[in-house]
Amino acid sequence: MAEFDKGSVSRRTMEIVTALLTSAAGLSVCYGSWRSGIGWSEMGPGAGYFPFYIGVLIILGSLVTLLRSIFLSRFRGEIFIDGKRARSVFGFFLPIVAFLIVSLFLGLYIGTALYIFASMKWQGGYRWWICILAALAVSALFYIVFEIGFQVPLLKGPVENWLGIY
Amino acid sequence: MLRKITLALLAMTMAAPALAFEPTRPVEFVVTSGPGGGTDNFARTVQSIISKHKLMKAPVVVTNKGGGSGAEGFVYAAGYKGDPYKLTFGTNNEYLLPSVADVPYAPEDLTPVAALALDEFIVWVNGESKFNNIKDFVAAAKAEPKAVQFGGSQSKDTDQILVSTIAATAGAEFRYIPFKSGGEAAVQLAGGHIDANVNNPNENRGQWQAGMVKPLCVFRPDRFPKGTAVHDGKGWHDIPTCAEAGLAIDSYRMPRTVWLPAGVEDDVVAFYRDVLKKVSETPEWADYVAKTSQTSKFMAGDDFNAYQTADRENVRKVLQREGWLVK
Amino acid sequence: MGNFGYLMDGFATVITMHHIVIMIAGVMLGILVGVLPGLGAPNGVSLLLPLTFTMDPISAIILLSCMYWGALFGGSTTSILFNIPGEPSSVATTFDGYPMARSGQATRALTLAFMSAGIGALAGVMMITLLSSWVARFALQFSSPEFFAVYFLAFASFIGMGSNSAAKTLVMMMLGFAFATVGMDTISGGLRLTFGLTDLIKGVSFLVAVMGLFGLGELLLTTEEGLRFEGIKARVRAIDVVRTLKEMPRYGWSILRSTIIGIWMGITPAGPTAASFMSYGLARRFAKDKSQFGKGDPRGIVSPETADHSAGTSALLPMLALGVPGSATAAVMMGGLMIWGLTPGPMLFIDRPDFVWGLIASMYIGNVVAVLLVLTTVPLYASILRVPFSIVGPVIVAIIFSGAYQIANSTFDLWLVLGFGVFGYLFKKLDYPIAPLVLAMVLGDKAEDAFRQSMLMSNGSLTIFWSNPLVSAIMALGLLMLVWPLIATAIGLRGSRRRAGQSAKA
Repeated sequence: MAEFDKGSVSRRTMEIVTALLTSAAGLSVCYGSWRSGIGWSEMGPGAGYFPFYIGVLIILGSLVTLLRSIFLSRFRGEIFIDGKRARSVFGFFLPIVAFLIVSLFLGLYIGTALYIFASMKWQGGYRWWICILAALAVSALFYIVFEIGFQVPLLKGPVENWLGIY
Repeated sequence: MLRKITLALLAMTMAAPALAFEPTRPVEFVVTSGPGGGTDNFARTVQSIISKHKLMKAPVVVTNKGGGSGAEGFVYAAGYKGDPYKLTFGTNNEYLLPSVADVPYAPEDLTPVAALALDEFIVWVNGESKFNNIKDFVAAAKAEPKAVQFGGSQSKDTDQILVSTIAATAGAEFRYIPFKSGGEAAVQLAGGHIDANVNNPNENRGQWQAGMVKPLCVFRPDRFPKGTAVHDGKGWHDIPTCAEAGLAIDSYRMPRTVWLPAGVEDDVVAFYRDVLKKVSETPEWADYVAKTSQTSKFMAGDDFNAYQTADRENVRKVLQREGWLVK
Repeated sequence: MGNFGYLMDGFATVITMHHIVIMIAGVMLGILVGVLPGLGAPNGVSLLLPLTFTMDPISAIILLSCMYWGALFGGSTTSILFNIPGEPSSVATTFDGYPMARSGQATRALTLAFMSAGIGALAGVMMITLLSSWVARFALQFSSPEFFAVYFLAFASFIGMGSNSAAKTLVMMMLGFAFATVGMDTISGGLRLTFGLTDLIKGVSFLVAVMGLFGLGELLLTTEEGLRFEGIKARVRAIDVVRTLKEMPRYGWSILRSTIIGIWMGITPAGPTAASFMSYGLARRFAKDKSQFGKGDPRGIVSPETADHSAGTSALLPMLALGVPGSATAAVMMGGLMIWGLTPGPMLFIDRPDFVWGLIASMYIGNVVAVLLVLTTVPLYASILRVPFSIVGPVIVAIIFSGAYQIANSTFDLWLVLGFGVFGYLFKKLDYPIAPLVLAMVLGDKAEDAFRQSMLMSNGSLTIFWSNPLVSAIMALGLLMLVWPLIATAIGLRGSRRRAGQSAKA
């Protein structure tokens, strides 16, 4: 996050980055469809025929955006995000990443409870017992609705196993 | 209290190896088709029979994994090596798919448990078609190669393999048009947009009742058992077998199969085999099979293995001829 | 008029205490299923299916169909309140519903949505009542070329809207097509664009993409304003519901147009999702003042909702009359019909009129029950928005990810949602339009299948798309829609809007 602290990211930079990302996606689509055959046989177009040109169009469109962002002064001086807002966005985004990683190991129920507790405690500034109650309530509600009500299993980890909940 | 629990636990661990397998947590039924598909109906029927007759203490959870023509479900189950709580429902696509598509599982990644029924295949034409028997139909196709259009469900799957077999047996050439499901192929036929399809009885029953389509012959070794009339005084029994009508294919059927992941203990397989055996003996099962015009046939162990080997051999010939094999 | 007599018999069967209770239970369960992303109507209905094995067929179908109505309503609720479409068909509702709710008019947005949805559904049932046999015959006319033409028309009527750069629109639409291509290819039976990843065999789920792009992307945008901001100060008063009801007649034309689109798409069967997008596109195209679209224009809520529900309702007709499901949920119900010992198909109307007309009667009453039930919950839903973000935000995140997991029990999907969320945020900030991506994702593979089936039928000749009056007419209409913006410019209709758009950009 250091770079964001120094200042803000310009819109132009982000336009270029995004256009590069989409053209990379286009390239991989082209490569993937080339592998499944891009010809037009007597049976009509092959499996990769349409996807290949879809990939080509993605690259073309991305290039246009890229060139426009580099050479035209459309977004000059426009700011994509400033340091304060970036911190705020990352303050929300990073806990989600943590939530997913924790959930992979401990299951979604525990992950959810921890995530809600942490968010309410450190972002919302609620008292700890409110946070614990809310976290447990959400997890329990999930369990009742999904597991018991609709019988769709959520990801479970070692703790549930140990408690004998499957 | 603590001593009691410890003792109980000890007793459990000691007794466990001696006892036969009995599920102690929910069993997941992995369905290799979307909701509403043939395999889905099969699995949910089994589920309802198990719960009605209390054939298993543990509850059942059904999950649909029909992506990639069912590959999604098989790959998922193959990933749970040795897990006795994942029962997978399918057809012969379990051993067919890996030969025609580059899917990341091998047929051996799943342990066969049992097959419960055989679904039939029938050649259907539009209700107003000029053809009334398979001989005329094939003769017309021979006279004009690639003019007759067969519709079917999916590509390089049971339907197209059958169409290819018909073509090879009769020396005719057809055009095959794959649709998303047998239901779509049924409507295309009723609307007269294609010339024929090889749908299962259940997929075309409604249209036959209304006379929008008519059956030419069925790929069974013998005729359907006698039953009530479906349309115009004719019932399933009145459909001639293809062999007797002059198309030399004795039998082509699709098994309804159940699988476990590879590496499960023998007593696990035995447990589910017994449950499924009991399922196949209930009146509800007979009812399901009759309503969908399938043939109830319980196969497990060596029977099932022999069936698979024979089926794979037949299919392999077709795949080789058409150049569809991926490996 | 025999149908009318049958219908009255149907009402007599359905209006009993027992059936009304079943309806209410079905609708409530449906709303719950619809509100939770990832569960969805098809799953909900298949979960209830085993319960119905012991019921009589009429009660069973009432339970299942009412659950379907409830799920359709529930899907719109989350679209409007949280920008998370609970059902694919309610994506188009987010375009104007969410902005309206954000501006403090959640009650109005929800009421508009529910009322127009109810009207759409009733119109669909009336069509079934009056035109069932004719419509069934019409639906039989459709084959792959006609399907392709319909998809083409849906694209054509939706494309070219919005003031985004053409290159960005192109990239987004093509990305949508690419996502739709991932997985098993129907025509060749092989895997495409999976890059050897096991988790991609099943394809990229539309719901995963939508939950990320819309739901998570929107949350990230919201947090820019700080994490501690309080809920929207929405006044929640029952009187607002009544006031909005009075407003409804103003959108008569939008509703009528959307109903026709919905019914047509429902029976052909292109489905409710295509219907709602097409209807939104046309509402915008034919509006004199387009400036409010995307910012909370009531017509942008009314049109997709009406079309969505009239399509969802009409989709049951092909199921009953032809034995083809018009939607994923109808497919599950059809499975149910067979288990109950009924054969969906043309003869069902003759063999079991009590069942068919009981179902149709229950559709009238069920939808009225559903509208009444959801309307009473509007103030409750709207008040959720007043809860501070530091509570609601994390809960929504948790619901999104648990929903994403449920779609295929795959942890890979969790990361996909996260990725889509980041891109949703980027795209939104950089003025990439997300709607074309979504539409392409829904219709892309169907359109491709239809095209390639047509090519198989015609031996590779493109003339098949002009081979009969029906397909020619739809193709011509599609082309007209495609060039409509040019025509409109020529007539000068767009002059004022263009000036407004330019001044906004500068």
